[in-house]
Amino acid sequence: MSASTHSPVLKHHFEDLGQQHACERLGIWMFLTTEILFFGGLFAAYTVYRMYYPAEFVFASSYLNRTFATVNTMLLITSSLTITLAIRSAKLGDRAAVIRNLLITAALASAFMVVKGFEYNNDFEERYVAGAPFRVEYDKAVTKLAPLSDADAAKFVKDNHANKHPEIQHWAAQLALHNREGVGHGALDPGKVQLFLCFYYIMTGIHGIHIIIGIGCILWVAWEAWRGTVPPENYSTVEVVSLYWHLVDAIWLFLMPLLYLAGAGAHH
Amino acid sequence: MSHPNTSADPSDPHGIRASADGTGLLLTVFAAVVALSLANIGLSTSIGPGKFTLPMQLLIGTIQAGLVAYYFMHLRHGDKVVILTALSSLFWMGIMFVLFLGDYMTRQYVVTG
Repeated sequence: MSASTHSPVLKHHFEDLGQQHACERLGIWMFLTTEILFFGGLFAAYTVYRMYYPAEFVFASSYLNRTFATVNTMLLITSSLTITLAIRSAKLGDRAAVIRNLLITAALASAFMVVKGFEYNNDFEERYVAGAPFRVEYDKAVTKLAPLSDADAAKFVKDNHANKHPEIQHWAAQLALHNREGVGHGALDPGKVQLFLCFYYIMTGIHGIHIIIGIGCILWVAWEAWRGTVPPENYSTVEVVSLYWHLVDAIWLFLMPLLYLAGAGAHH
Repeated sequence: MSHPNTSADPSDPHGIRASADGTGLLLTVFAAVVALSLANIGLSTSIGPGKFTLPMQLLIGTIQAGLVAYYFMHLRHGDKVVILTALSSLFWMGIMFVLFLGDYMTRQYVVTG
């Protein structure tokens, strides 16, 4: 009989701890495979529409808040580090460090959601939401800019002086200006701009739901560690949750360029 | 397996403590992923939307995800069946992309009536 069979952590249907840990790891990876394919479907749909309507996607992306997105990227990457440090602490049997690292991870994840909340609020205040709010704002801008002569409208666009003219900084005014006949820019279909916004809200929304579920799982493991049920032999409990968390982080590393960086550096 | 079932160290019979990641390695990977993120944002902003911007952004994102998967997700420990599972997800996604784009990207070539 091997030494591992004496571990209280060993489940009766496994021969030893190595086999148990390998099975736990394989189980979560099988789940992650379905998650990768789930997000893969969204990425594939995004790819098709971005290739069909590149100008509208670049325009729409350029009005997203990259400062919030950058802060959130840093929060998620740091949380990936702290949860990996929690595994290390679990392996070394440092229970206080496990709990501390897991709570820091949960705090960083919560901060991500708070920033996301501010970002959504900002977007809603700007009426940058697909559907009726978008349409109303766009139509309002078209009416407001109607008295402007074509020559003045063309000058606004050509000189790229949006920052000097606060009245045309808003996305709706810029879109209306782009679509003025005689301005010289290719027209941008407001419907396709909203299509990008649909991808933005659906992809970040589903990602956000994954973050919330992750926070719950991380707090549960922290609770288990506090109860003393995560000795070094049971480090894989932390690892299983961390694998899920890293995937959520990795998906964000692709959402960031696809959604926020598509329009980075674009001039209006 | 990421660690042997038995260990020469009597205080670490399952080799679990011996398999713990070094803090220096984790911090290095963290710094690299952060640096790549900042590089991606900086390059994208300075270059602006162009033909090669998206491939560059996705290449950087893929390197970052690769670092996370290899070091933070412990693929480097070489659990073969786990590596196979991870690669199979990319393989299936590749099939999905090829079939999906093979349809949508060739529709303009279809000759009708």
